Amino acid sequence: MDGTQWSSGADEARAQLTAALTAVGRGDRAALRQVYDMTAAKLFGICLRICGERASAEDVLQTVYIKVWERAGQFDAARASPITWLATIARNGAIDWRRSVAGRTVHDTLPEQAAFAVADDSPLADQSLVAAEEGEQLHRCLGELEDRTRLCIRAAFFDGSTYAELATRENVPLGTMKSWIRRGLLRLKDCLGDG
Amino acid sequence: MDDHLTPTEERDALAAELALGLLEGQTRADALRLSLSDPAFAAQVAAWEAKLAPLHDEWANAQPGAAVWSGIERQLADAPTDKVTAIEMRLRRWRAGALLSGAVAAALAFVLITQPVPTPTPAAPQLAVARIESDAAGPLVLARYNQSNGLMQLRIHGFEPGTLAPELWVIPEGGTPVSLGQIGHAGEAEMTMPPPHRLLMTEGATLAITMEPVSKTPHPAPSSVAVASGKIITI
Repeated sequence: MDGTQWSSGADEARAQLTAALTAVGRGDRAALRQVYDMTAAKLFGICLRICGERASAEDVLQTVYIKVWERAGQFDAARASPITWLATIARNGAIDWRRSVAGRTVHDTLPEQAAFAVADDSPLADQSLVAAEEGEQLHRCLGELEDRTRLCIRAAFFDGSTYAELATRENVPLGTMKSWIRRGLLRLKDCLGDG
Repeated sequence: MDDHLTPTEERDALAAELALGLLEGQTRADALRLSLSDPAFAAQVAAWEAKLAPLHDEWANAQPGAAVWSGIERQLADAPTDKVTAIEMRLRRWRAGALLSGAVAAALAFVLITQPVPTPTPAAPQLAVARIESDAAGPLVLARYNQSNGLMQLRIHGFEPGTLAPELWVIPEGGTPVSLGQIGHAGEAEMTMPPPHRLLMTEGATLAITMEPVSKTPHPAPSSVAVASGKIITI
């Protein structure tokens, strides 16, 4: 599915998406459909991974595109790539849902096995979407962290796990988990440099 | 904890935790509230989101059902975009041309909107106004508050009807948000402010709107970032 949407080249795809998003910011509904067609599979992948089941993920995806419609006027192509901007809205929307009463209730009933699927630590980067250098630097800096810290940070990012969930899974006290991750994040920041 | 972070590191770690989504419950509500009232902290959260952004390359794609798009279309169907755009344009043009202080401009902008035929209004002491807006096209709420009788009037534009309702907050300078309750998605609304809340409606305080689960009673704290905000100006 990936290949077809972006095969015309990363820059061209990014330019098309930027143009469509800018048009959405002006209130162009046809452009929203275009943004949806170009990105729904990606954003649904995010919602599905974090929500853990289709029905909720589809509800969240719907609210995500309504937010995109409302906020597209704030998108600044000079500051963020369009796909990063969209993915951040989708991920935050899915996390909001997970932290809501409904999200916690649904999530608690899901089978356990889906939970630590993120233990795969091998970045399979589709470099067409995000600038390659930034990705390399982040992966290098993540690679300098202790394995367990890196895996927990990745689980937080990809599964939307909380401190408490990570502590339970790793079988360590909550304070220990917080300490691992906080130290890891501050080291990560040092490594990335202030920028 | 035995980490001995400096206050600066502590604040930055909190921003990272919020960006990563590690927090829950009261801690999360407090951090969200901070990001709402403190632009510097909000910028730190955004910076962390940017640092982690390359990870967005790694999500596995999945196809949503067709019902998702029809749901989006349905929600957009009755959005009053044209009206809002027209008001925005009038205001922008007006602001650009006006060589007046911000306070006077905002007050007159309010008059411009509330009264299609611009007639001079009698001097109205004890009046406060706020233009609650997002950076660009999006929700827009005009608030007018009469300090002598506590009457707050709102003109509401541009919220999409959905599962979440707009909730209005007043944030005193340097303080935490206090809910004034939920408002409609569009149209006009008014209420008489309870006396304790009247004290918060001062020059420089911020009015902000977040999208919250529908509730008959005001929420104790916002659960997400503001979709629109604006400072109170007294005239």
